[in-house]
Amino acid sequence: MNSINRFLIIVRIAARNLVQAPRRTLWLALAIAMVTALLVLFQGISEGTRGHLLRSATTLSAGHVNVSGFYKTTPTDVTPLIEDGARARRIVEENTTGAVQIVDRQRGFASLITAGATMQAGVAGVDIEDETILADVLQLAEESEYVDDGRQEVVGDIQGLSRPNTAVIFAGQARRLDARVGDTITLRTQTFRGQANTVDVTVVAVAQDIGLLSNFAIFVPSRVVLDLYDLSDQTTGALLIYLEDIDRSEEVMDTLRAAFLSEDYTLLEHQPEPFFAKFETVSGEDWTGQRLDLTTWEDEISFLTWIVTALDTIAFLLIGILAIIIAVGMMNTMWISVRERTPELGTVRAIGMTRTGVLLLFAVEAFLLGLAASLAGAALGTAVAAAITAAQIPIPSDAVRAILLNDIFVLVVGLKQVLGAVIAMTLVMGLAAFFPAWRASRMQPVEAIHR
Amino acid sequence: MKPVVELASVDKDYPLGKVTVKALRNVDLTFYRGEFTTVAGPSGSGKTTLLNLVGCIDVPTSGEVRVDGQLTSELGDRDLTRLRLEKLGFIFQAFNLIAALDLYQNVEFPLLLQGGMTRKERRTRVLEMIERVDLTPQLRQRPNELSGGQRQRVAIARALVTRPRIVLADEPTANLDSETGRTIIDLMKEINEDQETTFIFSTHDPMVIERAGRIVHLRDGQLVDEDTNSDSGDARGAP
Ligand SMILES: Nc1ncnc2c1ncn2[C@@H]1O[C@H](COP(=O)(O)OP(=O)(O)OP(=O)(O)O)[C@@H](O)[C@H]1O
Ligand SMILES: [Mg+2]
Repeated sequence: MNSINRFLIIVRIAARNLVQAPRRTLWLALAIAMVTALLVLFQGISEGTRGHLLRSATTLSAGHVNVSGFYKTTPTDVTPLIEDGARARRIVEENTTGAVQIVDRQRGFASLITAGATMQAGVAGVDIEDETILADVLQLAEESEYVDDGRQEVVGDIQGLSRPNTAVIFAGQARRLDARVGDTITLRTQTFRGQANTVDVTVVAVAQDIGLLSNFAIFVPSRVVLDLYDLSDQTTGALLIYLEDIDRSEEVMDTLRAAFLSEDYTLLEHQPEPFFAKFETVSGEDWTGQRLDLTTWEDEISFLTWIVTALDTIAFLLIGILAIIIAVGMMNTMWISVRERTPELGTVRAIGMTRTGVLLLFAVEAFLLGLAASLAGAALGTAVAAAITAAQIPIPSDAVRAILLNDIFVLVVGLKQVLGAVIAMTLVMGLAAFFPAWRASRMQPVEAIHR
Repeated sequence: MKPVVELASVDKDYPLGKVTVKALRNVDLTFYRGEFTTVAGPSGSGKTTLLNLVGCIDVPTSGEVRVDGQLTSELGDRDLTRLRLEKLGFIFQAFNLIAALDLYQNVEFPLLLQGGMTRKERRTRVLEMIERVDLTPQLRQRPNELSGGQRQRVAIARALVTRPRIVLADEPTANLDSETGRTIIDLMKEINEDQETTFIFSTHDPMVIERAGRIVHLRDGQLVDEDTNSDSGDARGAP
């Protein structure tokens, strides 16, 4: 009770000291708030990009955990498939907890050919009845988004994929191929045995782009991929597992690795790389038969995570420099404040306040200012981030669009970012105040009083 | 008679550029329990310096200072702080109240630092002390809303509220008109008699000197003379 009272007195004195120098306090608070707001905004960009990456990756090419396979009849002849899809699926189902959905995906790579243009893309073979998550996440584009004289309404339906020889493509692709719903696209590929093969598909829906990645993927019924590559019904390309809790990806992958090993499967060493990057390694290795490869969604987009890392690094450097400037300002302000209040400090020391008490007094002052200002800054940053995202501001530069993998600015600010920024700024302020406060606490009371 | 403060061969030098100011020279002096002593002397004679040493807010260049039996040079900062808080009350020449706190809180402050009292006990003690210096109507005023004499009385209340053994007052009447000054000295005298508190003042004010039980004269940092006022006396038991 007493120590609470003593502490309250310290808080009162500290607060009063802040109020007594309003200009200084306000400037400092403004600076702290601005840096905090920037910190929140930068983190928002980084988090928005991360979230976007995750969403596009998990929509287009990967589950939270993925089981895929390589089959080799000779050491150099690589086919990306799981021979006995049903068995692999049973093992996955028996050993995965917390799965929301487990789907089979056939994987291939083909040239998309129309009368007007040709482009390359990954071809994902799906069973649309099973793919409820995909059907949920893919937003269809209005026709006017990809055809100049198009209607301002959505044409087509993802469920069209349940019909044979169909395809869902993305708006960017539709524009380049000059294709709309109902048009035919020829898919051409080489089978894994080296023959050229084609299948004609009809576009049943055009989805909105999901950043850069969606240029490189289309969806077709599984059968189309099997036909393209002349594969047996028994095979599957990959099993994609979606979890309730994405943070458990690593754990689930490890459990599944153990399960497959105990079922006498041979596994590839875990490499944090996307599936397609592994072909070369695998064909260079001296083995034949079936091997499985397990990855998490992070592995599958590892070739893009440098973007997030780079964003984080830039943000960190910028904020670091700003924080140092602010900290120097804070320290300077604290020096002034200590000098102004030296007689009063001498007095309280003479009456019997300990050195620790004096330190605490300044610590509380820095803490109050740091906390209030950074909270305000974080609130401002969050509001600005929300406003930017809501305004759907188009990203003006192609380079930035490519880096952020998005066409509009999306900033995601979570509690974690806000708390992180507030705690970081408050700590920096506390540290900056420490040295002047420490000096003040070491002074002889009489020196202080007569200063 | 029980000694409460003892100074033995105390020197205090202040380095001032290339020269050294000898503020106190070879001072041997003992103060006893319940004494009401004035340290008199012209400006610059070392009065404040002497009080600061006794008050443990400064250290002698050489010699020994004992407060309540403890040799101050042997105490670390923590113990000295404790000693100041528990045994000493300091009334500064410039009042030195805490601007952030109101009258009540200023007086309560040392009790909060001490700890160990319930809220109710503390409140009773603070109100009693404020009543004694006749400031009850100004309870919630801040220092800048008080007159000089009122502030001086707050400073006295703050110094006395912990019931210290020794009260040090540096020119307690210098900022007051003679009427207020007299009231304040009489108040301190009363407390001196009630509680056997040892009072040590510095002053040039003849009115104060006249009321002291014992007068110590300083000149150029040296003890030159000592008187007792038989008519005013102090709270010491008669020898
Ligand atoms: N911090 C200091 N630095 C240098 N010299 C000092 C310091 N404090 C006091 N002195 C010198 O020490 C001597 C004694 O000073 P002190 O303040 O003790 O005198 P005083 O008797 O209290 O004077 P006054 O009546 O004017 O208050 C003076 O010559 C003064 O100039
Ligand atoms: Mg003086």
